[in-house]
Amino acid sequence: MNLQMILDIATIALRALLPIYALVIVYQCFASARRHRRPEKPLVTLEILETGQQIPVLFWENSIGRSKGSDIRVSDVSVSRDHCVFLRRKEGWFISDIGSKFGTYVNGERTEGRTKVILDDEITIGHTTLVLKRGEEYQERLRPSWFFSKASDKGALKPYKLMILITFFHIFMAVEACFSNEIQDLSPLYICGAMEIVMWTFFCISSYALNRVNFELEALACFMSGMGIMLLVRQVLRSAIVQLVAMTIGMILFAVIVKLIEDPDRVNKWRLWIMIASVGLLAVNLVFGKVTNGAANWINIGGISVQPSEFVKVAFIFVGASALDKLQTKRNFFEFIAFSAICVGALALMGDFGTALIFFATFLLIAFMRSGDFKTVILALAAAAFAVFIVLSIKPYVAERFSAWGHVWEHTQDSGGYQQVRVMTYMASGGLIGVGVGNGYLKYVFASESDLVFGLVAEEMGVIVAFTLAAAIIALAFYSRAITTRSRSSFYAISACCAAGLMVIQAALNIFGITDILPLTGVTLPFLSAGGSSMISCWGLLAFIKAADERTYAAKRRAPANALPQRKEVAV
Amino acid sequence: MKRIMTRSLILWIVTFAFLAGTVFLGVRVVLYSGDWVQQPFNGHMASANGLGKAGKIYDRNALTLAYSENDERYYADDETTREALLHVVGDEGMNISTAIQSRYRTNLSGYNFALGVGLPESLNGTANSDLTLTADADVCRAAYSAMNGHKGACVVYNYRTGEVLCDISAPSYDPADPPTITEDNESEYDGVYLDNVVSSTFTPGSVFKIITAAAAIDNIPDIYDQSFTCYGSLDVEGNPITCEYAHGTQSFSEAFANSCNCAFGQIALQVGEAKMKETAEKLGFNGSDFKMSDIPVATSHYDATGAGENYLAWSGIGQYEDLANPMLMAMICSAVANGGTATSPYILTDDGGLLDKLNISVNKSSDIEMMSPDTASKVKELMRGAAEGYAWRGVDLAGLSFCAKTGTAEVGEDKEATAWFVGFIDDPSHPYAFAAVVVEGGYGIDAASPVVEAAISELVN
Repeated sequence: MNLQMILDIATIALRALLPIYALVIVYQCFASARRHRRPEKPLVTLEILETGQQIPVLFWENSIGRSKGSDIRVSDVSVSRDHCVFLRRKEGWFISDIGSKFGTYVNGERTEGRTKVILDDEITIGHTTLVLKRGEEYQERLRPSWFFSKASDKGALKPYKLMILITFFHIFMAVEACFSNEIQDLSPLYICGAMEIVMWTFFCISSYALNRVNFELEALACFMSGMGIMLLVRQVLRSAIVQLVAMTIGMILFAVIVKLIEDPDRVNKWRLWIMIASVGLLAVNLVFGKVTNGAANWINIGGISVQPSEFVKVAFIFVGASALDKLQTKRNFFEFIAFSAICVGALALMGDFGTALIFFATFLLIAFMRSGDFKTVILALAAAAFAVFIVLSIKPYVAERFSAWGHVWEHTQDSGGYQQVRVMTYMASGGLIGVGVGNGYLKYVFASESDLVFGLVAEEMGVIVAFTLAAAIIALAFYSRAITTRSRSSFYAISACCAAGLMVIQAALNIFGITDILPLTGVTLPFLSAGGSSMISCWGLLAFIKAADERTYAAKRRAPANALPQRKEVAV
Repeated sequence: MKRIMTRSLILWIVTFAFLAGTVFLGVRVVLYSGDWVQQPFNGHMASANGLGKAGKIYDRNALTLAYSENDERYYADDETTREALLHVVGDEGMNISTAIQSRYRTNLSGYNFALGVGLPESLNGTANSDLTLTADADVCRAAYSAMNGHKGACVVYNYRTGEVLCDISAPSYDPADPPTITEDNESEYDGVYLDNVVSSTFTPGSVFKIITAAAAIDNIPDIYDQSFTCYGSLDVEGNPITCEYAHGTQSFSEAFANSCNCAFGQIALQVGEAKMKETAEKLGFNGSDFKMSDIPVATSHYDATGAGENYLAWSGIGQYEDLANPMLMAMICSAVANGGTATSPYILTDDGGLLDKLNISVNKSSDIEMMSPDTASKVKELMRGAAEGYAWRGVDLAGLSFCAKTGTAEVGEDKEATAWFVGFIDDPSHPYAFAAVVVEGGYGIDAASPVVEAAISELVN
């Protein structure tokens, strides 16, 4: 046992701890996400005047009608199937008729557009009259969600402690990179230092300036973004700095979007402009885009390369989602379909089939969540299959790009399988705990820092960390679906689910593409992959999930149930 | 909202699909990492194809057959030794898939699933991962030289312990200077990447009479009371089965010693196609999964079902579609020597649990039931009788008492016959079973027995 051996054992021990550490961090983020939920009580209740029956109002937006799927179902033949929407906004409760046959009345007056409703107001639809009552007056217990922890469960880690955990993880990575086999200097520590300053500033602004209660989503994103940056340090130092700047911009975008969509109705006014801007951006890209690796999805603005399609992803979610009463209108839906077709078509023209596929899959998700109609989805799939057939018959060389799929080991030296086989070889070389940050060989393979980053993580940090990242994305999706039960608007519910769905689809195309389970399409892994545009758009998408969580805007409205003004007070 | 929430379950479907894919990937990683890592382009093991730091390989007498120095791989000093052991040791190109350096490359290069290749040199144990073969380099060299440039193989192994002492395959080449095989010289190197001992099968010819004899002993109660008259040719269904000359009237044992085709053609017909196949399969033909250490032995073939009487007769004398593997023939001989139980062969010694440490699974010598002790002793008598004739004709295995059978398999197309010599030494202090095959060698007794003689005399002296 000599000194070298002792040092080596220490290195291995440290390396073996990192996977466990990563698991702890991801677990803590989600343990924290499952906390701080308001008790399972209705927001208000509606009492049917004729029978005295109490109907709990559970959501911020509720459809009222005769159809089975209505949130508040009224069995009355004179009520339309989808009659009206009863929704809550900052200013109070509103009722909005959505094209019912016989109209909606408040205190005997027929409503037009959104009409404010206050306590003890009588809403009449058909022959049924509903009276608005307080939530406390409802006695039955509601079924709790499986996802959220009960109040009696052990408390989660405080956000600042979570951030400390993450900071140390990044510092460990930086220290490991400092002692990498090829280069030994302190640049990883400098980058790490700068990165932690950005992250802690973001944390402080979020907690103290914006008074946000929870930080677990941001913490998870910080963890993954930071890991990507630390892996980059030993590849291309400049890219690491670019990535750090992009993360900062991403955080700002995140905060801005969360603020902007605080009011789900405001979004509707901008919808058209966002669509026009996106289409314009894609058009500019089509005209001025430079062809890189077979796809013309980059434009150069003043020396900085950007990938417009990444930003359009955020816009796409914006346009796809809407508040419940707007959702039902045909115009809204057709606008969205047209917009989707333009996006997917433009991306296909650029040759960026991976992103086109992501958009198309996300389109299916949004279309299904809006309409609930399998026919729409099947129709869209049929149309897509037809389009693919047309493309393949006009441009047969497109198929050649994917010809190595399934037998990449016969293409170890040509572009068909070159990247995939190296990803698998180096994943295996890394074993469970990796060869150490900066010691990998995959970094010499083209696109290792972007498309192949999952393989790079597996090689340098081990298969366990790589799969932990996949688990983090899976958990993100479950979280997004769980919070929709308490989303303040269908806009948030749809946008959060679809943003999470987009990330899952993208991660699947990325991870399975480079490991030859799916054809290689060259898309990025959310948060991890190098690429400023990609990083910024991921933070943008995360904002939708953040906004969907009822707790996000809770700091400003400490006691939501008391927000209801009472008629008596108004009368005085 | 309720409707949207229900519909949002589609996100679960997407996520579960992703989860399933991730699990699938995980399973693939667990199953195939060992294969994935062994690539010539793997930067972690680029030097000498990953063998730049691999341990040494010794023969049973601690002669170094391969070692690494300064990231280069070196082999034994003597060129003939290098060529003789090429198919056991292997080269850096991993062309010979059954060779130690190809098969255990990941183990030799310090790879394991949990730690990948990331273990620092001071810890990864490749420095100590020297492997010792059961093979004897001198014996191999002697046998290889005796091949005289012919294609073929020779295996000698201890039928009590299973240790393989000699495993040579020709053609071969020098691993220190591997040839570039082009269209011009490919005929010279035909089959060079196969270890003929384990990976090839040949038409057995008369050595198959051992199997036919065993079938006869088991299935024809009065076989020893029968006599067979050979006129040099026997007409079966209008097609003749021929002998070199007329053997006259012989007993069963005499017919075996004479290697009389006419007699054994008749015997095969008497046994019948079903029983012939049954015996052949008990002796390991048609898909047994025998192994040498963990190297699979190629499947030998015997099946004359529905072929008609003429072909059945031919199949009984090792022609028709019969194919036999040298290692299997040596194992059958070991069963005869051991009272019916074959010993499974191995080529790596496991000293100090090293193989376990390197995750190499060894086929520890296990016994394979092939025939009843009674049948074994009767076949042994037959082979002893045959061997006496060979001894009289000049075959001398270091003066030891041996039991054997020659074979001269016709392969047609104006080619010289494939020569065989299989058997064992019936001596507890020299328990060796052997099989040699020389392609286009001519008579078994002329071409194949000298290879065995060379090996055995080197082994005994």
